[in-house]
Amino acid sequence: MFDLNIKILVVDDFSTMRRIVKNVLKQLGYTNIEEAEDGADALTKLKGKRFGFIITDWNMPNLDGLEMLKEVRADEELKGIPIMMVTAEAEKEKVVLAIKAGVNNYIVKPFTAETLKQKMDQIYDRLNK
Amino acid sequence: MPDEMEEIIQDFIIESQEILDSLDEKFVELEKDKTDQQLLNEIFRNIHTIKGAAGFLGFNQMVELTHSTESILKRLKEGQIPVTSATMDVILESVDYMKSILQHIKDGDGAEEDLSGIIDKLKAVGKADHPEDDTEANTTGNAVSGGASPEKRIGEILTEEGKITEEDVEEALKVQEVVKESMDSTTEPKLGEILTAVGKTSDDDVKKALKQQGRPREVHKAGVEQTIRVDIERLDNVLNLVGELVLGRNRLLKITSNLENRHPEDHEVMALSETMAFLNLITTDLQLAVMKTRMQPVKKVFNKFPRMVRDLARPRGKEIDLIISGEETEVDKSVIENIADPLVHIIRNAIDHGIELAEERERIGKPQTGILRMSASQEGNNIVIEVEDDGKGIDIRNIKDKAIEKGIISPAQAEVLVDKEALELLFMPGFSTAESVSDISGRGVGMDVVKTNIARLKGNIDILTEKGKGTNFNIKLPLTLAIIQTLMVEVSGDVYAVPLSSVVETVRISASEIRSVNLQEVIQLRGEVIPLVRLSDLFGLTAPDGSGTYYIVIVDEGQKKFGIVVDRLNGQEEVVIKSIEGGLLRGRESDIIAGATITGEGKVVLILDLAMIMETIAKGALSYA
Repeated sequence: MFDLNIKILVVDDFSTMRRIVKNVLKQLGYTNIEEAEDGADALTKLKGKRFGFIITDWNMPNLDGLEMLKEVRADEELKGIPIMMVTAEAEKEKVVLAIKAGVNNYIVKPFTAETLKQKMDQIYDRLNK
Repeated sequence: MPDEMEEIIQDFIIESQEILDSLDEKFVELEKDKTDQQLLNEIFRNIHTIKGAAGFLGFNQMVELTHSTESILKRLKEGQIPVTSATMDVILESVDYMKSILQHIKDGDGAEEDLSGIIDKLKAVGKADHPEDDTEANTTGNAVSGGASPEKRIGEILTEEGKITEEDVEEALKVQEVVKESMDSTTEPKLGEILTAVGKTSDDDVKKALKQQGRPREVHKAGVEQTIRVDIERLDNVLNLVGELVLGRNRLLKITSNLENRHPEDHEVMALSETMAFLNLITTDLQLAVMKTRMQPVKKVFNKFPRMVRDLARPRGKEIDLIISGEETEVDKSVIENIADPLVHIIRNAIDHGIELAEERERIGKPQTGILRMSASQEGNNIVIEVEDDGKGIDIRNIKDKAIEKGIISPAQAEVLVDKEALELLFMPGFSTAESVSDISGRGVGMDVVKTNIARLKGNIDILTEKGKGTNFNIKLPLTLAIIQTLMVEVSGDVYAVPLSSVVETVRISASEIRSVNLQEVIQLRGEVIPLVRLSDLFGLTAPDGSGTYYIVIVDEGQKKFGIVVDRLNGQEEVVIKSIEGGLLRGRESDIIAGATITGEGKVVLILDLAMIMETIAKGALSYA
């Protein structure tokens, strides 16, 4: 599994949601967490510091999840960062688009800490095969 | 981490509340332009957001309701069902239910709403034009939902809309290049302009495309604005401390001034004066800055009115346009909290009694749609809020008759009243204009409560009306509630403070000039009869010996003038009002005191509540006429 010290970026335009996700991550032992409120804000933060993981919502103003994903994958420095998309039950068809664009995994909300851990471990394993 | 959860839930409640509040306005706007795609996307995203968080926090009712609503919104934004007033009524109803559910969550009472009705209605709306059931409809092509698309090119948008073809766009782009080069100018002709010029699109199409491309509208919390949430208690604490600082500064000013007088040549004293001047400026600036932290734009209150007007007007067969202006004007938070109820009542009155039915208006030659204007502006040290309608105006005769009927005044008194005074009758307790008890005023609010609420904010309300033309309610509220200018007066050795903003003038009279009319003491001032109140009476102080001279402070409190009889005038002073904890004053005294303060000399002085004092005279109602 991922090193508990990695810097994780949580992206969502609803602050309550960011808190919730942060809380779940904390339950798993991750404490080095930063927040961004939309894709544009996220990119700014990503370029500033070294992040080891991104977990992001899909629907956001300014730059939505999909677009942000594409920008990250197109950037020399950032393209290797693992990204998890948070989606709603009904948006599964978007997962296809996200996978095409290079997302590592997706998770459906509401999710539990166990589910998040499973999915993150999946990403880790695939990356470190 | 139970504490963490508690905080998260609090956050959820606050943020969802904000979203739900903003939805009312968005829907009314949507009704004006039913094709506003950006608005539809935004509304969808708002509901989707609440659903997401609610899911995590286990608020099942909220999830259920937002899910059903979200399905409908999805269809609306994808154009599968049309936006109609009926559809919006249903969605607005569901938003109301969401507010109730949120309230239950807030109260922690575990109560549940009966959602069966509204869910059925939502399903019905969904099925209306779509034979499929609840499964989310598949959208081919544009898979992006919710979030505003990143800036798309005009050419792309117009092509997607089917207004032009890709070849058209390419050609237009070529034209753009050529024009740029040949003209050798720095201004690039816009693609939209080129397309319109060659007749491929119309101005309207380009405008719509530009709108779609335009900056995403403000998200419920204004996107990237820099704000922090601060506990209101902390702000109040800071405000209080600044208040104390102001009092301290006032004292220093006095002391410095005394020193200057006594030792004008002393260098230390001069240095002190300079420093005091500086401190004075800084403190004033600090005072203003802190006040501003508690100020918010009036639109927080005005926001709920478009929907309210819509909901009230329609079932009453009236067509009303609500025009709001000056909503960016900022007022203190306490004003925001307390001005809503009075405004609601005034608007309800205007809709119920002011604006005529659509046919009636047509008959008398007015435009069918009535106009209701709400505005806020700053005038000097006051905030002025106006509510104006172009309805039938207030019938003065009617008012007088009603007042006589209710025993508030006698027919003889009614005859003597000028229009302005007659309108004041509306504010009398016991004068309810509800001939038809409308459903709306569920709280039994009468105009007298409106006046009291406004008086509590230390404001004034005036009515102007013209028969057949309309009515104007003018509310004036002071900008600063805690710090006021006062006139210090002395009675039987005690000093009291009179809010200067209400003082019209002061006169010096001899005891013999005081007359008595129906047991009410009055004086005559330039032909005007002004009722008097003796401070010594109000506070049970030793009455002066009846000879000699007095000073009368003439005060204007909401159109009514009266005079306060005192022994001496001690000059003006700016003070910070401090409220008095309950129990320290008894009975009548506590009514007429607005608070207390510490003067520049360190004395504790009680501040008079002029509105309340006026009430005590009014209760001997109009007996001076």
